Amino acid sequence: MTKHILVACGNGIATSTVVASKIKKYLSENGVDVQTTQTRLTEVPSKVANYDLLVTTGQFSGDTHGTPYILGLSLLTGVGADDTLSEIKDALTKQEP
Amino acid sequence: MWSQIANSFMAGFQFVINCGPTVMLPIIITIVGLIFGLKISAAFKSGLTLGIGFAGIKLVLDFMTTNIGPAAKAMVERTHVHLNALDVGWGSIAAVTWASPIIAILIFVILFINIILLILKATHTLDVDIWNYHHMAIVGIMVYFVTKNVLLAVGSVAVMAIVTFKMSDWSQPMVQKFFNIPGVSLPTVSALSSLVIAVPLNWLLDKIPFFRKSKFSIKDAQKYLGFFGDSMIMGLLIGLAIRIFAGYGLQQILQLGVSMSAVLVLIPKMTSMFMEGLMPISESAQKWSQKKFKGRKLFIGLDAAVIVGNPDVITTALIIIPLTIAMAVVLPGNHVLPFADLAVVPFRVAMVVALTNGNLLKNIVIGLAVTASLLWCGSATSPVLTAIAKSVGIKLSTGGSLLISSFAATSMIQSFIVYFCFTWHPEFCVPVLLIVIALTWYYSDKVKHINKEAEAAENAMKAKD
Repeated sequence: MTKHILVACGNGIATSTVVASKIKKYLSENGVDVQTTQTRLTEVPSKVANYDLLVTTGQFSGDTHGTPYILGLSLLTGVGADDTLSEIKDALTKQEP
Repeated sequence: MWSQIANSFMAGFQFVINCGPTVMLPIIITIVGLIFGLKISAAFKSGLTLGIGFAGIKLVLDFMTTNIGPAAKAMVERTHVHLNALDVGWGSIAAVTWASPIIAILIFVILFINIILLILKATHTLDVDIWNYHHMAIVGIMVYFVTKNVLLAVGSVAVMAIVTFKMSDWSQPMVQKFFNIPGVSLPTVSALSSLVIAVPLNWLLDKIPFFRKSKFSIKDAQKYLGFFGDSMIMGLLIGLAIRIFAGYGLQQILQLGVSMSAVLVLIPKMTSMFMEGLMPISESAQKWSQKKFKGRKLFIGLDAAVIVGNPDVITTALIIIPLTIAMAVVLPGNHVLPFADLAVVPFRVAMVVALTNGNLLKNIVIGLAVTASLLWCGSATSPVLTAIAKSVGIKLSTGGSLLISSFAATSMIQSFIVYFCFTWHPEFCVPVLLIVIALTWYYSDKVKHINKEAEAAENAMKAKD
């Protein structure tokens, strides 16, 4: 089943594109079928409820309506990127019934 | 024989330029990609993606100006509120920037300045976020457009780069403390520029106990003002409002509402094509530079997008957005009709919030001062920006009366000052500008030692070797 990830950053363009494409590359190499949607942080609360996972490039503390949330800053700096990627994979595969 | 080769090279160059940006962009970016060590197929795909992004932006801009142009004109005539410079958003400006024939030179100027400063240990920031170079490059493109002088253009971009890297150094301790992101600095002009106004104003406000001690806060701002942060709704409301004030019938009012909502949602989608195309180039630059500067403890330069999700930043922005629209109407001398860049107000206030340590009252006062500067500088430079957009083939279908502007490019005070100094009596202004920069640099690095922690870390690394 395809998993849906909401990737959010300040303008829904720059850093979220980088993070989304790294997530997609990693997950497809690991056999997880995934679709990412990019958005702006201010629009997260109104959209996030329909997604399996929220990844943001920076600090976010709004309402996630119970959707699991992972900070993706390491995917930009490269420091600790592998840990974050496997954390994302675990969060998605764990939900499988 | 050599002159023949040079001639045919120039003829080829002219041919490519005459093809227009959708053809020129893929070619230039492919070459840039090859220089950065991409395979030809990857480089070409990058280039083509940018060309597609430009074509997309052009479509949306044409759609926007045909729809909003006549209505904005009617609104000006009916209400005598003189807002004839439509804010088309930073994404459109970035597209125009990447479509300029001299962009390839300017990218390497910025990268070269960064490398030189790093080798000289004059900056701690490693900035290979090629995407955000457009904020610095547009100043050079505007200087070139006005002066037709490549040296002045290159000089202005070099100054932009130096100021940007130094400001991102100096703001790093504050950013790290307030947003809790270590090892990262933010050489994003769209956020840094506000500091030019915010730092002196904050110093001034701190002299007044009422501001310094203010505990003013607004609960649930996000809950009640949240719709100001939603592009769809913002576009709809502004579209409706413009045709209401322009005195159209209900049918047409509703049509513009949905059209403008569409524009605000579509522009970012088109802009993200640019980001996608440039990503492989940025990545390869990152790999190269990290190898090159191995053993140095540097700040990795990131897009300021990583800090604008902070709740204090969002609250401040949600309050500033409606005030920006109100200010545009009442501010004397303003011609900018705020629209697409209302979405990026969080970037303009993010550094302010860190500077005041989240003092909401000071954030609003400083935020409004920054807004006024954006509107004034945007009004002043909109004719040049409009002419450049036309020169890269963007049709502004409503005749001569409609101008374009944004809250990016030379609407930002840092870029405006550099642009102004390089175009208005540069023989006098540029030396003055350089002296001011040098004094600020001396004061921040040698007197106040703002980056003493980073200096200590670098020295410790050296001692270990």
